[in-house]
Amino acid sequence: MVRDYNNRHALEQKLRAAPTPPAADHLMVGHWRAVATVLARSGQEETVQRAIASVPEFAMRFSAPAEWLVISEAEAPSGLARRLEELCGAMAHVIDLSDGRVVFRLSGPNGRRILAKGIGVDLHPDVFSSGGSANVLCGHIPINLARVGEDVFELIAPRSFAESLFDDLMRMGREFELTAAFAD
Amino acid sequence: MTGYRLSSGGLVDRSKSLSFTFDGRPLRGFAGDTLASALLANDQLLVGRSFKYHRPRGIVSAGPSEPNALVTIGSGARRDPNTKATVAELYGGLAAKSQNRWPSLGFDIGAANGLLSPFLGAGFYYKTFMWPKQFWERVYEPFIRRAAGLGRAVLERDPEAYEKSWAFCDLLVIGGGPAGLMAALTAGRAGLRVIVADEDFRFGGSLLSTSETIDGAAASIFADRAVAELQSLPNVTLLSRTTVFGWYDDNVFGAVERVQKHVAEPSAKLVSERIWRIVAKRALLATGAEERPLVFGGNDRPGVMMAGAMTTYAERYGVAAGKAVAIFTSGSAGYRAARALSAKGISIAAIVDARAEANDQAPDGVRIIRSASVVDTKGSKRLKGIVVERSGFEELIACDALGMHGGWSPVVHLACQRGAKPIWSEELKAFAPPDVGGGLRPVGSANGVYSLSGCFDDGAQKAAAIAAELGFSASLGASPVIDGETASSFAALWYVPGAKSKAFIDLQNDVHAKDLGLALREGFGHVEHAKRYTTNGMATDQGKLSNINAVGILSGMRGVSPADVGTTTFRPFYTPVSFGALAGAARDEHAVPARKSPLHGWAIKNGATFVEAGLWHRSAWFPRAGEKTWRESVDREVLNVRANVGLCDVSTLGKIEVFGPDAAEFLNRLYCNPVLKLPVGKARYGLMLREDGFVFDDGTVSRLGEEHFFLTTTTAMAGAVMSHMEYCAQALWPDLDVRFTSSTDQWAQMAIAGPKARAVLQHLVDDDISDRALPFLAARKIVLKTGVSARLFRISFSGELAFELAVPAGYGEAVADQITEAGRPHDICAYGAEALNVLRLEKGLLTHAEFDGRVTPDDAGLGRMLSMQKTDFIGKRLSTRYGLTAADRMQLVGLKPVDADKDMRAGAHLLKEGTKPSTLNDQGWISSAGFSPVLGHAIALAFLKSGRERYGERVIIFDKLRDQEIVAEVCDPVFVDPQNEKLKA
Amino acid sequence: MASLITCPHCGVRPKEEFAIRGDASCVRPEPLDSDEAWHDYVYVRANPRGRAVEHWHHIAGCRRFLVVERDTATHEVYSVADAAEFARRAER
Repeated sequence: MVRDYNNRHALEQKLRAAPTPPAADHLMVGHWRAVATVLARSGQEETVQRAIASVPEFAMRFSAPAEWLVISEAEAPSGLARRLEELCGAMAHVIDLSDGRVVFRLSGPNGRRILAKGIGVDLHPDVFSSGGSANVLCGHIPINLARVGEDVFELIAPRSFAESLFDDLMRMGREFELTAAFAD
Repeated sequence: MTGYRLSSGGLVDRSKSLSFTFDGRPLRGFAGDTLASALLANDQLLVGRSFKYHRPRGIVSAGPSEPNALVTIGSGARRDPNTKATVAELYGGLAAKSQNRWPSLGFDIGAANGLLSPFLGAGFYYKTFMWPKQFWERVYEPFIRRAAGLGRAVLERDPEAYEKSWAFCDLLVIGGGPAGLMAALTAGRAGLRVIVADEDFRFGGSLLSTSETIDGAAASIFADRAVAELQSLPNVTLLSRTTVFGWYDDNVFGAVERVQKHVAEPSAKLVSERIWRIVAKRALLATGAEERPLVFGGNDRPGVMMAGAMTTYAERYGVAAGKAVAIFTSGSAGYRAARALSAKGISIAAIVDARAEANDQAPDGVRIIRSASVVDTKGSKRLKGIVVERSGFEELIACDALGMHGGWSPVVHLACQRGAKPIWSEELKAFAPPDVGGGLRPVGSANGVYSLSGCFDDGAQKAAAIAAELGFSASLGASPVIDGETASSFAALWYVPGAKSKAFIDLQNDVHAKDLGLALREGFGHVEHAKRYTTNGMATDQGKLSNINAVGILSGMRGVSPADVGTTTFRPFYTPVSFGALAGAARDEHAVPARKSPLHGWAIKNGATFVEAGLWHRSAWFPRAGEKTWRESVDREVLNVRANVGLCDVSTLGKIEVFGPDAAEFLNRLYCNPVLKLPVGKARYGLMLREDGFVFDDGTVSRLGEEHFFLTTTTAMAGAVMSHMEYCAQALWPDLDVRFTSSTDQWAQMAIAGPKARAVLQHLVDDDISDRALPFLAARKIVLKTGVSARLFRISFSGELAFELAVPAGYGEAVADQITEAGRPHDICAYGAEALNVLRLEKGLLTHAEFDGRVTPDDAGLGRMLSMQKTDFIGKRLSTRYGLTAADRMQLVGLKPVDADKDMRAGAHLLKEGTKPSTLNDQGWISSAGFSPVLGHAIALAFLKSGRERYGERVIIFDKLRDQEIVAEVCDPVFVDPQNEKLKA
Repeated sequence: MASLITCPHCGVRPKEEFAIRGDASCVRPEPLDSDEAWHDYVYVRANPRGRAVEHWHHIAGCRRFLVVERDTATHEVYSVADAAEFARRAER
């Protein structure tokens, strides 16, 4: 996890209060995570996908045909973009979106029920299984949703919507006493 | 009628006594009661006044079809009008009030309407309020408005929370009665994802109010065991207090769950109501059947009730509807009710059977009067006796309650909400659900199966068939053993002849049999016409009890089968749903999401006032101490930018990164001006047209690499431009090798504008940013002294020397702070969207106030941008058509008032001097206007007929909204620095 | 309330995720085609009851334009294809 104190997180204001101890259902906000969009050049979709999937510290999220979000907890934003350029720059266009996206991680036994209040996609594990990801609408906000564990979902939202999405998620989780805090 | 609590029995918890009030009177009931059962137990028979005649009315049903017992529950902002007492769950502290009465329920002045009833027949309003015409607004409408409506809407802000949720399942079972529970058990055991929804607070449906026993125990125990088993299955979800109100495309069902309507003190953690959108692979309509009332003289007297409802009150709630109960029936269920009541020790006065013959068994010693009718009822606010007619002889029978039974109608509503009409069945003497394919299948008594064993079998078999279709294997368990089952039959009886007083069809809307006759005579015999002419079935109960009898009566009068009359149209919602629930969480500040700029924190620190622009919250102006109006702040900001330097947040502009070998070609086809040969490191103003030749959006296009372009769009059209580009790339030209993505959220973008902009910016960068090194329209990737990667553009929306600096969003605030600090010696100020607007107005630069969809590039003075040498671009072909090139089109001009102290407003129209305002004389309109602090007077941009030829001419600005006429002079739209000397400094 | 579209890239999605653009059967004329052809393309639309092809933009999902073939009266969906594939097929 990289931390740069000149870089202001979109939710700094919202999460300024002293963190409460996480409840069973908890929303963790990644402090500053490297995120990039990769657009495969025409005909290069499979090669690009294989190349990125071969790097263990990269997580790949499906956005659209030949388009992924790649996130890394190990890299600084510029580092991720550079490594992706090296890896598949000839086959794809790489756009650093680390500052334009906010990463939320929702974990706990009621995650599915919380998300069902905003997302019109069947999140039953038989249908949306671990490792699955897609762009979806959460309430009125377009996000990328991934299941990263049986009871763990990751939501990647545009920065400008982050406060609204955060408010929505906290409201959706109120009945389960959802808590929230920065990751570090 | 004398209602009272039986000494034992029922499914209420007699150990939990609850206090509540009705019209202020303190009463007690038990946990497990509905408000209606508790009122009945307290002998509160009169519960409301009817809509038109204000007649005294009592409880008729024990469920959601109730037409009479509509009450207001709660007080203040938590008040719920028009709540059916028959479904409202009793809780301690519940406060209910009757409606539609004044001054009190017992004495209601509106009842005088009853005396006027000969004049208030069907169609009365249509005929009476026709003339004289001028009476409409002053007399008729206020009168009708005062008389209209039932209950009183709550005007305070709703303090409750609501939400919506999606749900997905293999099988949705609608209704938790015998058929539904058995289906759910069968499917749940087979492993299907099952949702069972029931509107009641307790599952079981008719099992809760039958005297039949199952496997040697009370039917309610069977229901409890089934529910316990279903609860233990992880693949089954039970939703009680949940009404499935609608069936929509693709087998999506709408349901409303009353999460905590039944508690005195709602938990802040929970919502009041929740809307479910249930996506079901299959669904079973296990909604049961509705008992039909009988239409006879005096049938609205408090004490006249559905026979089945009486049974329910006795069996489920341990409440007797009367001490001496008469039954009026055309079917065996009337006898069943008599036996059930009798078994509870309630005396049966008589069974009046409309049929000549029946082999139904009455309780021992009860008198049966066959081939007989009830033709009138006695008593005023409670029933005292009935007048029975048989073979021309009348007899008065004393009783204090009358149970009526006219047969059964399957509850088909949901199956008919998507266009299919119910099918008349001669065998069932009822409208049966239509075949709507496999997605939704009727089961149990909704399917015309009226025996308990039949319902169990139907539920199990249909669920097993669905399981097999979905690839599961279900086994049919042993059928439960039922004791006390009797055959069920009835004769259809739409209207009981010989009525001695009003025979009501629709109790809620006070429609009686004569009204339908009138409708038919006056040509409104079609079922949809009759409904509207008489208002039968148009009340909040949507005719759940009344519609079938209206159809039957119409068929009798018209001499055709009910199949030929048909039914009125079924639409969602099955029962009323509150607006709060439908709005869900999307209200107040959560109605739409708010988008915040990465510089939002910087703007707050600098005291910004914000304005909503689409979803964005933009800084509008930055008031300083001593400034009393927004204009003072804006004028200061504008003058400071012109004299010194200002910093403005322009992060909300749409930003799109475009890549690929065909990127240049793609953009060349999108913009009307040439893009193909734009050199790397340069920006250009770009104009996009719609295919019809009018301006779509403007912005900048910068080439950051041979195959990398960066576009900006206006804030307003960012989404539309992105969609347009996707359409062009995917649907029009899929073979172009171009990719693009939005980077709007990645960048904090700042405009630094004013004569001292370069000096301020130089503090942040080592690069040479002189006019030679970075001329107007240069575009560069740079690195700030702090090491932050950035993009620098020499573009201006103010006419001043200006730069736009984009840094990764997270650094925006730090960089803006740094610029503010570095600019302090240069008197930098923050400026907002309002000053930005004045600056561009002074310079004659355009926004969507000008590009309103009716404006061509030439209208806007941008005709030279059209590159007609290009083979093709969006909008090229139609931009040259007749009409878009006419010389007398409205053209962009500037306007200044002849009297410098006069104000101008956008939206005002232009006239030639000496002409009257008319469409014919219209010369154009003002698109934007504002006060120019530089010039010291108002300025405006306007579209004027052949405007460019008319500089110097005087025109009238006609502002009807403010009733103002001002003389203005037409001028060039560039008010400040027409030679661009400041821009290119 | 709801209706569902099966996006070939994202799976079953509610209509809220889509923006409907309209008739997908119109083919953009060549630049030099007749005035009538252009006029028809820009302005003239049939409003059929029954089977129709429409462009649905999966705006909150993959952002692909889809060609949805459906019945405008019953909303029965017969097929959903990516618009680029559809356009390429139409050209062949």
